[in-house]
Amino acid sequence: MFRGREGDPADTVAARAMEFLEPLYATALRLTRNPADAEDLVQDTFVKALRFSDRFAAGSNLKAWLYTILLNTWRNRRRDAARNVVDVDTARVEAAEAATDGPAALETPEQILLRASVREDLQAALDELPEVFREAVWLRDVEEFTYAEIAEMLGIPIGTVMSRISRGRRMLFDRLNTASGHVGAEGRLTR
Amino acid sequence: MMDDDCRRLAGRLTSYADEGLPAAERAELENHLNRCAPCRTDAHREMGARQVLRNQARALTDSPLPPGLRTRCEALAREHAAAAVPRGFAVRRFASVTAVVTLVMGFFLFSLATHQSDTVLAAQLTADHAKCFRLFAHGDSPDKDAHALEQMLEDKYGWDLRVPPSSVADDIHLIGARLCLYADGALPHVMYRVGGHDVSLYVLDGVTRAAADLVSLGHRSRIWTAGRRTYVLVWPIAAGDISAATRYVMAEAR
Repeated sequence: MFRGREGDPADTVAARAMEFLEPLYATALRLTRNPADAEDLVQDTFVKALRFSDRFAAGSNLKAWLYTILLNTWRNRRRDAARNVVDVDTARVEAAEAATDGPAALETPEQILLRASVREDLQAALDELPEVFREAVWLRDVEEFTYAEIAEMLGIPIGTVMSRISRGRRMLFDRLNTASGHVGAEGRLTR
Repeated sequence: MMDDDCRRLAGRLTSYADEGLPAAERAELENHLNRCAPCRTDAHREMGARQVLRNQARALTDSPLPPGLRTRCEALAREHAAAAVPRGFAVRRFASVTAVVTLVMGFFLFSLATHQSDTVLAAQLTADHAKCFRLFAHGDSPDKDAHALEQMLEDKYGWDLRVPPSSVADDIHLIGARLCLYADGALPHVMYRVGGHDVSLYVLDGVTRAAADLVSLGHRSRIWTAGRRTYVLVWPIAAGDISAATRYVMAEAR
């Protein structure tokens, strides 16, 4: 196991960054939806973190800083490689969503969580989301970053972050319901 | 039917679901939700997704790291740490010596920095070499056409590059090319097999460096410059003597 020398910022960043390899890889998997690309992305993120370790402000949030590098690297790679990815036309997605009121009947979260296939259903539903909504929902509800941290990572206003989280959650819940084909009680608050 | 209240309060649903809404705003919103079925449904969807995601967060992030990824990152970190110039060293020395010694020290530090830079470069490219062959090459990868790869590199990335083709006489087989990430940016990575061993050629455009041979992470790296480009060839020590292949690549690359 690598251990950094105390007092050297680069070594401290490197040693502490090792602790985040698993969550970085999990996030990379959801972004890329491909194990080989995810592994590639995480290693490149680590290389960049070492390279720019002197820019990391001691005492600030290392995890958020690493995620910022990961997200920027992914975005740059898609742009540079000109992969066959269509940018999300947010307005079009929002219009399409507004045109429907969601499923006529909804399962409760408890019913969804009781499914034997809940993890697979959830992964599939996440993968179907347009990328901007998928990354916002993932960063908030899985990695539990704050709105402000997500805004800084993605370089967008907090209001946009909240809007993407909101729409992402609703679309995700609709997809989970669609996956089950379940017809349940009318939507109601469960808090 | 959405009314003015719905529009005004819709923006609060996310904070409400995240339990971050001030008490007065929460009370106003809950009062509205009790009267408005469409907004109640929206709240149900948002809170439901949040609850499912948070419940499943551990399962969603329980993805074992691929073999070798942690080892490569540890090796990169070690190389980076070993290459770091001791902080404060230069300042203390320069403050206490004469101008002549300062010049000598300056030259010494410049040489040291150049060497360390080579070491970090070799380590990064070696780690990339190991990753790319593990992920993107297979034991039976067929020979690729050099011109087709040159065209691909130009079309996709705008790189005008001469790719040395396979050479049966030198037992070197061209199996692919792709974009790789070096700390300073993207660069072309050309992949070969020589005598069954993985060999990589990297090209740094607009960069010149002194020639060097280094050993890093069980691999050899040869650095040389031609024109305004620096080339780095990486191959495993276990490959033994592949001098015919390295001479061929050095002669053909440009």
